[in-house]
Amino acid sequence: MDRRSLLAGRFIPRQPATTPFLVTTGLEPYPGPWEFAQAAHLLRRTTFAPTKAMLSAAVNQGLDATILQLFSPLPLPEPPIYFDTGDEPLIPPGAPWIDDPYSSEADLVQPRRRSLQSWTMQLIWQEGISIRENLCLFWHNHFAVDNNVEDPRLHYRYITTIRTQAWGNFRQLVKDITIDPCMLRFLNGNQNDEQSPNENYARELLELYTVGKGAAAGPGDYTTFTEQDVAAMARVLTGWVDTGYLTEDPAEAIGATFVPERHDPGAKQLSPRFNQAVLTDTGEQEYADLIDVIFAQPAVATHICRKLYRHFVYYKINEATEAQVIAPLAQLLIEQDYELEPVLQTLLRSTHFFDVLNLGPMIKHPLQFVVAPIKQTGIPLPEDQEERYHHGHQIYRLIAGMGMAYFDIPEVAGWKAYYQPPLYYRNWINAITLHQRSDVVRRLVTSGYTPGEVPLRMDPLAFLETLDNALEPVSMIAEIVQLLLPLHLELGQLVALKELLIPGLPDFEWTVEYGSYLADPTDDNLRQALASKLEDFFLGLFNMAEFHLS
Amino acid sequence: MKRRNFLKAAAGTAASAPFVLNGMPLQTLAQTALFSGIDTENDNILVLIQLQGGNDGLNTIIPLDQYAGLAAVRSNIMIPESTVIPLTDTVGVHPGLSTLHALFDDGKAGVVQAVGYPNQNRSHFRSMDIWTSGSPAEETWADGWLGRYLDTCFTTYPEGYPNTEHPHPFAITMGGNVSETCQGWAANYCMTVGDPFSLTPLLEGEPGALPATPYGDELAFLRQSIAQANAYGEVITEAANNGTNRIVYPEDSSLARQLRNVALLISGGLQTKIYVVSLGGFDTHADQVLEDAPLGGDHAQLLKQLSAAVRSFQLDLERQGLEERVVSMTFSEFGRRIRSNASRGTDHGTASPMLLFGPCVNPQVLGENPEIDSHLGNSEGIPMQFDFRDVYGSILVDWFGVEDSLVRSLLYQDFTYLPVIRNCADVATSTVDTQTAIVLEAFPNPCRSGFTLEFITLGEHLRLSLFDALSAEVRVLANKPLPAGRHRLQVDLSRLPASAYFVRLQMGPRVQTQRVVKL
Repeated sequence: MDRRSLLAGRFIPRQPATTPFLVTTGLEPYPGPWEFAQAAHLLRRTTFAPTKAMLSAAVNQGLDATILQLFSPLPLPEPPIYFDTGDEPLIPPGAPWIDDPYSSEADLVQPRRRSLQSWTMQLIWQEGISIRENLCLFWHNHFAVDNNVEDPRLHYRYITTIRTQAWGNFRQLVKDITIDPCMLRFLNGNQNDEQSPNENYARELLELYTVGKGAAAGPGDYTTFTEQDVAAMARVLTGWVDTGYLTEDPAEAIGATFVPERHDPGAKQLSPRFNQAVLTDTGEQEYADLIDVIFAQPAVATHICRKLYRHFVYYKINEATEAQVIAPLAQLLIEQDYELEPVLQTLLRSTHFFDVLNLGPMIKHPLQFVVAPIKQTGIPLPEDQEERYHHGHQIYRLIAGMGMAYFDIPEVAGWKAYYQPPLYYRNWINAITLHQRSDVVRRLVTSGYTPGEVPLRMDPLAFLETLDNALEPVSMIAEIVQLLLPLHLELGQLVALKELLIPGLPDFEWTVEYGSYLADPTDDNLRQALASKLEDFFLGLFNMAEFHLS
Repeated sequence: MKRRNFLKAAAGTAASAPFVLNGMPLQTLAQTALFSGIDTENDNILVLIQLQGGNDGLNTIIPLDQYAGLAAVRSNIMIPESTVIPLTDTVGVHPGLSTLHALFDDGKAGVVQAVGYPNQNRSHFRSMDIWTSGSPAEETWADGWLGRYLDTCFTTYPEGYPNTEHPHPFAITMGGNVSETCQGWAANYCMTVGDPFSLTPLLEGEPGALPATPYGDELAFLRQSIAQANAYGEVITEAANNGTNRIVYPEDSSLARQLRNVALLISGGLQTKIYVVSLGGFDTHADQVLEDAPLGGDHAQLLKQLSAAVRSFQLDLERQGLEERVVSMTFSEFGRRIRSNASRGTDHGTASPMLLFGPCVNPQVLGENPEIDSHLGNSEGIPMQFDFRDVYGSILVDWFGVEDSLVRSLLYQDFTYLPVIRNCADVATSTVDTQTAIVLEAFPNPCRSGFTLEFITLGEHLRLSLFDALSAEVRVLANKPLPAGRHRLQVDLSRLPASAYFVRLQMGPRVQTQRVVKL
């Protein structure tokens, strides 16, 4: 029998899409069915890569309960610890370091930085049904910092500030970040004093973090703010310095302090863009007064809602999207006094979010691309703590090589994928990163990485055991595709994939071979033979253009 | 938008026209100089060296006649006069950038002073967009200046590329991200190359039909990228294997590594026309120089890295007999402020110099030293003398043989040719006077309600404008030819706030600026 016609009866071809790019949906609650496809869409956008177990749980408990679980408060994770430190007595493996001073005896910066990097990747690996790690990434990109701030304790404190209010109040978050010691250093706020105001933070506060930069309306006037505002706000923010940076003194904690002598007490006149507000000296409260003044502008809500949209839905925002999604979302954010949770939930349960036009067009960022095959094929995080840190750091090195180093964002505006037209997400893709992506999945499927003792490697046979029916190749492939790719494949693609698994053989041969293996898993030769076919299959799947999408 | 549509439409018509001209089908002709800007005989190469972060031009190309002013406004970062290497009687170069001096003396380097654009934007990413797109400050153009140029030559790109006639990538970025400079209408012309030896072939999935949805859009993009990474990977690897370097480059410098690979690929016969390399770290808000050691610090390290990398690159090309094919040019999103800050750094400013390297470069310092007034305001940058689009356009004219009229449509209608390239091979030549200083005086200065300008012209077209201290073009005073002779012009400032202003007078490649203070 012709295999093609056989397959045609089993795979249901995708319905052709109608009326492209015509946005007809808005924020009204999604009324449609709640099945695997919808659950997968929600969890692919809110977590880094949903496993089969996460998806089954979501399908079973329904949309409302899944949203509730995504936003359930979680305790803060245990702080990062040293690993892979050799014989240096000052760096005991397994010991936390977030409150400890430095020493002239040993380089503690590098071990701490590596620890923090690995710890962050482990949190993502173990995220479960929670939006927290994804929002941490969103805010980290929004308030980008880099490793020129050398003390990893500052990065830990910064990301903890973000993690504790990932879906809290946006205005409060901006206030906290404004005097966060890592940010004070990164954008020279700590050098901003009355004698020599440094405008670096004030400019980015407006241009990137709050109102955004509008069209040029005149010399030094960007519609949403003016050069006068940058200069005046820099003066408002004078006086803050960080403490404890790289200190060797155990009594000196890291933090931020207001030094009244460095503060400019004069009146600060803002432009008509801020209704010519005047800020007068309120000392260490003045920064908060300023944030309140900025947040009186509706442009703040519009700007952040566009960024949230680009993070959770798609990068293209046309006039209809602006009118039906962005504008009402921004209005809601203002009505909710800048509380993020109701706004995020409204977006994530909206008809627009589940619109067929929004399924699958997000190009995976490097972190998603690396974590997805690891999590979704069930590679276990090692039980041994030291090994867990090795694995986390291996993932970190891979994504850093692709231009997405956590805590070391190359531009103050964040990663290009989230702001640079016309490419946006497409900025992640070029000849180098395509080769790197290809290399990563090849290594994961074949030799694996061995950052410590335990290899980080896919076990395809173990993965098959978690599937509903791995004995039957067509349904097995369908289930894998449904889990790992955003939408259905064309029939010809499915045939090609099956050809990689069982080249030139009828379907039943797979059933026979795999059945023999299940009957006697100790047969190493058979195991190897099956594993080798599965390697070809997964290499083909992971190298498909579709695998880059989510 | 109109212009772009026109170019597209015109090119599209030529490529699909069914008639024959002089016995040659038009499709073939369209690949040659007749309908496109590209000259197939021309094997010239342009290397763009992007200085990321905004280079402090005033500590790079140093006005030797302005030390009194420099001492007043940036004493904490000033390069000691005795250490500066003189290029001319009045213009010096930072001692870290000694290669510029050596090449300049050999007739292989040039400097264009104070390059910028009217209404300078001080945001990094916005200003870099302007520099890479070649747009006016007030407009956002989605394509890059070189991408736009290449679009006029290869109208269907990326559809059908690479092909037998154009098997090599048109542009290559050394490093992670494609350069917006090469963004075309439909695709970016840049291939990204990290290590030219490790471009392993990619596996491609079996393609299916694409739905007309955003998903289909992104999938199409990915499939095309994957296919191209494949197709160009082979010729790049081949060129890397055939090529050679005849000098040992500095190991610890990323810029040197990038330029080494550029030389390798050129040497290996890759026909790529444009290479983009980059050096980051020029955003020197603090610790630009070391305390009490102005020849150390971040900026000096960057200039030394630039110097060593360019020296190796030029020497390598020279030893391989390739140097006459290559012109290298630096650019940065903006210069920095004239006044330093208390952190021994400088904040975002306006214009800054561009440096050009190669034996075909006109070995001159184009433009005048800025006037450093000891009383200038905190925010003032170097006033622009040359529009960056004039430099770009002149490169297109002299280096790639592009017609002046096309340059105007690609960049801007007011394009003014600057002789930054000299007659080296069979490229356009010019004998334009660039050195005779313009006589331009303003009095009274400082003034209360207005001043009188006096200047001498030789009868050419002139553009005379008034800028404010933040480089916004406040008023165009004249934009027309004036008869030769001495001219006087009253300028009324009564409606403008008290501040410093700049008068900029451009006559062809000659520019003069004059600072005027309204009390």
